[in-house]
Amino acid sequence: MAPRWSLWRPSARGWLGILLMGPSAIVVAFLIVYPLARALDLSFQKIRISRVGAARLPFTLDNYSRALGDDAFWNAALVSLAFVVLVTLFCFLIGVGSALLVNQRFPGRRLARLLVALPWAVPEVVAATIWAWMFDGSFGVINWMLQSLGFIDAPVAWLSQPHQAFAVCTVALVWSGYPFVAVMALAGLQAIPGELYEAAQMDGAHAWQRFWHVTLPSLRPVCAIALVLVVLRVMRDFATVFVITGGGPVGATRSLAIYTYEQAFSFFNIGYAAAVGMVTLLLCALFSTLVVRRSVAA
Amino acid sequence: MRRQALPAFAALIVCALLLFPIWWMLVTAVAQPDDLRGFPPVFFPTHPSFAAFHTILFDRPMLRWIMNSSIVAGLSTALTMVLGVLGGYALSRYSSRAVRAAGMSVLLAKMIPTTLLVIPLYVLFREYGLLATLTSAALAHCTVTIPFAIWMLKAYFDSIPVELEEAAAIDGSTPLGALWRIVLPVSLPGLGATALYAFILSWNEFAFSRTLLFSAPENWTVTIGIASIRGEYIIAWNEIMAASAIVAVPIIIVFLWLERYLVVGLTAGAQK
Repeated sequence: MAPRWSLWRPSARGWLGILLMGPSAIVVAFLIVYPLARALDLSFQKIRISRVGAARLPFTLDNYSRALGDDAFWNAALVSLAFVVLVTLFCFLIGVGSALLVNQRFPGRRLARLLVALPWAVPEVVAATIWAWMFDGSFGVINWMLQSLGFIDAPVAWLSQPHQAFAVCTVALVWSGYPFVAVMALAGLQAIPGELYEAAQMDGAHAWQRFWHVTLPSLRPVCAIALVLVVLRVMRDFATVFVITGGGPVGATRSLAIYTYEQAFSFFNIGYAAAVGMVTLLLCALFSTLVVRRSVAA
Repeated sequence: MRRQALPAFAALIVCALLLFPIWWMLVTAVAQPDDLRGFPPVFFPTHPSFAAFHTILFDRPMLRWIMNSSIVAGLSTALTMVLGVLGGYALSRYSSRAVRAAGMSVLLAKMIPTTLLVIPLYVLFREYGLLATLTSAALAHCTVTIPFAIWMLKAYFDSIPVELEEAAAIDGSTPLGALWRIVLPVSLPGLGATALYAFILSWNEFAFSRTLLFSAPENWTVTIGIASIRGEYIIAWNEIMAASAIVAVPIIIVFLWLERYLVVGLTAGAQK
């Protein structure tokens, strides 16, 4: 019994932990860390996809300087920024709004809580396809609705005009993204102790004041996390935009992710694509650290 | 009661608006071909037609796509669960500085753009002759599923009292024996939810699959397949929506049924 027992000794705990985490660490090293190092290496070579595997090309910063001097890169960065700002804004408006609504007391609220988060269960590709159909220029239901309501006189060819196509992608991204905010916000709302509201009421706070001074501050930590994850999701999104517009028309929806993919697998500039991807990763990392720092400090 | 009527009514309207796309998918899938081009659109089908389902299932490789997606998701879920159980247990019970560092660093995977990571994976899989195989997609999906599984399972193991293992130790069990015989059996709901979540993530994945498998149509998954139908000259929307419904409805049902378990996964790792 003694040797078996000894595995429970405190001194064996460190080794056991490493032993248990080891397999994951090795697989993650092979599937994420090493590939990332390879991507970094590719980004420092003027290399096309056909040449990968041959002897390494000389180190160069050309890919990065090309990106910074390329209008297409800045356009993609701008498109990504626009998506991030608009999609995040609407995800929070709809997500927090619907969470506040289903946090009220009313018959059927359990079902309502389930239903407001339901779009989460729809695969992104399917969601994007549904929106593409609803916004179809000839027979789309949205055109019909807008025409019957008198907002437009003739059907709009949503997907072949830059601003309209951008709007369609935004709508699809919001629809897939808001359920996460709703779920997080609802969890946050339920964690607010009722005494806080009672105390506020005793002090004579109106409903609006209670919302502003109790509800919103309590939701801040949850919202900070949700903010990071929603922004990362939009920055990294590929499926929605690729399925709806493929990045067009004339680059109006070509985000950094789409641009990276296009350069790598349509134009085979794999070194340049890796550089653009690295810049995207850097932006994601900077943003996340910034928000996490601030929310920890607050 | 009157005070409750207003929020109930508002919730009804909001849900109807937010869920309209799902309704529209179902309505289009069972629409008569003429209804697709008719104005006003038919919002409540009185004569549902299942011809589109028949076409999509038997005249197109839908069944093959479903099988491929199931294999890919099955493989990645299996690998994810083995690694996630060990890693999550390490984080929960044998946390040291090294273990925590490893745990935190897998969370950073959330920041890596898929379109960046897929570039070196494409290169590596080509070097190893795995490109365009279902294995390559399954391994790529693990970059998404493993990090979240570790943290979701850690949260679950945290909720199980340590006294169970202490009792096992006194009975002469080894630490791994205690995990296998004591902890895992009482963790079955958590394991099930995690596996299901991993399966759904892999089933829904598009960017990795499309890049790695596109050159081999016999290995396409459902998401690649659905996206490909839209690229055709004449778009058969009822067929696309039927295919979409086949892919999405099972997940919607699972979500409605197991929502409270899955929501744990949605927020797992987020608190850290």
